[in-house]
Amino acid sequence: MSVFLSIEGLKHSYDGRQVLEVDSLELIEGEILAVIGPNGSGKSTLLRIINLLEEPVAGEIAFWNGARLSAMSRKEKRELSWQMAMIFQEPLLFKRTVRANISYGLRMHRVCKEERGGKVHEMLRMLGLEEMAERDAMTLSGGEAQKVTLGRAMVLQPRLLLMDEPLASLDVPTRKSLREDISRLVKEMGVTAVYVTHDYHEVLEIADKLAVLLDGRLQQVGKPTEVFGQPANEAVAEFLGAENLFEGSVMSCREGMAEIDIGGTRMEALCVQPPGSPVKVLIHPEEVVLLADSGDAGSARNRLPARVKDVKALGALVKVSLDCGFPLVAYITLASREEMDIEPGRVVTAVVKATSIHVMPYVGSGR
Amino acid sequence: MGDIWEGFVEAIKMIFSLDPYVMRITLFTLYICAIATFFGMIIGVPLGSALALYRFRGRKFVVTLVNAGMGLPPVVVGLFVYLFLKRRGPLGFLNWLYTPKAIIVAEIVLAMPLIAGITMAAMQNVNPKLRLQSKSLGAGEIRSTMTLLRENRLSLVAAVIAGFGGIISEVGAAMMVGGNLLLGGEPYTRTLTTATVLEVSKGNSTAAIALGIILLGITVLLVWLMTLIQQGTLLSQPARMARNLISRRRKEAPS
Repeated sequence: MSVFLSIEGLKHSYDGRQVLEVDSLELIEGEILAVIGPNGSGKSTLLRIINLLEEPVAGEIAFWNGARLSAMSRKEKRELSWQMAMIFQEPLLFKRTVRANISYGLRMHRVCKEERGGKVHEMLRMLGLEEMAERDAMTLSGGEAQKVTLGRAMVLQPRLLLMDEPLASLDVPTRKSLREDISRLVKEMGVTAVYVTHDYHEVLEIADKLAVLLDGRLQQVGKPTEVFGQPANEAVAEFLGAENLFEGSVMSCREGMAEIDIGGTRMEALCVQPPGSPVKVLIHPEEVVLLADSGDAGSARNRLPARVKDVKALGALVKVSLDCGFPLVAYITLASREEMDIEPGRVVTAVVKATSIHVMPYVGSGR
Repeated sequence: MGDIWEGFVEAIKMIFSLDPYVMRITLFTLYICAIATFFGMIIGVPLGSALALYRFRGRKFVVTLVNAGMGLPPVVVGLFVYLFLKRRGPLGFLNWLYTPKAIIVAEIVLAMPLIAGITMAAMQNVNPKLRLQSKSLGAGEIRSTMTLLRENRLSLVAAVIAGFGGIISEVGAAMMVGGNLLLGGEPYTRTLTTATVLEVSKGNSTAAIALGIILLGITVLLVWLMTLIQQGTLLSQPARMARNLISRRRKEAPS
């Protein structure tokens, strides 16, 4: 568990406009870091800077071999960049055969012919591309082509693999199989990876760590469950598509337990904000429990009488929109919907545990 | 009409009997144009690539020069090369005027901007990320540029053919700096175009027609090659045939 790559105070701008600001980001050896953020949030720029393709305006990067960005000779840069490989959103194959494409990087690294042949053959086998080896790369389908770019990068046995939205231009089934290929190769070969995407659904399965980048600023870094469970601020929560995000204010706070006013309704939640401070409150819809009557709800502190406004089936789950003084969304199973006979107009009790409410400092207007 | 027909028939006979005068001029012209195109390529391809891939001070000015150079009147180029190479000119000490070297210099000046311009246009059309991808796979500045040139090889061939075609049919500059000379009865600076002009002015239509047919033949051949390249069949056709042959052999071999 040694630090593989660490970024400090990184800043980059184009024509005086700041596009990237990362105060601190660390990568542990062997982990997959997913950088998520909307288009134009500086994700690709971050990758290009790590890949030494672009020089940042300010900041320091410490690499695994001890080299530091600020004090690096051309030769060191080249040696270091040879230990990295990048995959882009478009396949970007060369007009050659599949085999020639995969061996391209090895040729650039001046690997001798015999060794090259062996490595390329092995990679073709690992990806199940042997049949296509002599095909013109321009005739491949989108998924096949992206698979070849994966092979072209991995055959170099990079220490660090950088991926810039590698699945974005593919259809859903192809995405799935390529994602499996990526995570298999990355794990098998023990590669550390940075995976950039605007669609976090893509990475939840494979990411060890999540970094959220909004408007060029790194907002939060943590385990995916942490980031989703406790977004650092409302902008992150909003980007992650969280429902049940409310504005409120802290009424009282004692020993980490606070009473929070949300649109006239009082809720108890875990919180460390001082009384009087405006906050953003996130209630995870799958943690809202609905009861047909106001009977026993265990230790849950928040019981809200609620009227069902709308019911929508989402596959195995049902999305129930409630009115309990403020609009609340709950996800319940199909079975419990039938059991409780949840229909618009019905009055139920919504139960939310204090620990299921996530309170964030309110960062004011903006997003 | 009879005259033209007779001249035509005689000209065909001249070509097929490999008339030494006509053949020497043809070979000399091809030689001059090949060398000029080669140097035009050596200068034009890197220049065009640099203009397409890098942003530097004065780039716009150079691009304008190249674009202007693509439409330079050959006579004006001839005039300038003449002014530089004439005995009292800045390069007069070379004693190149009225030698094949002078023609080559003038033709390089004409061919280079054509090659640079087409190379630049082709390289600008490549996805800039392709270069980034090549670099991220370990290529340096030069090797990633070479990769892009290779990706663009058809356009490069087209650029070279355009350069060659532009100078082989050019008469003004060749005449002015070469002088259309014979040396000891052998063509010294006489090209297909200058010779044609001379034969016409001598009233020798037969030789003029023969030279004209050869020039036309070469030009048609070049245009045909260009078309094939543009349509992408010239290089892919034989390549596909070769690949089919190889795969058939492979399939047959194990059985």
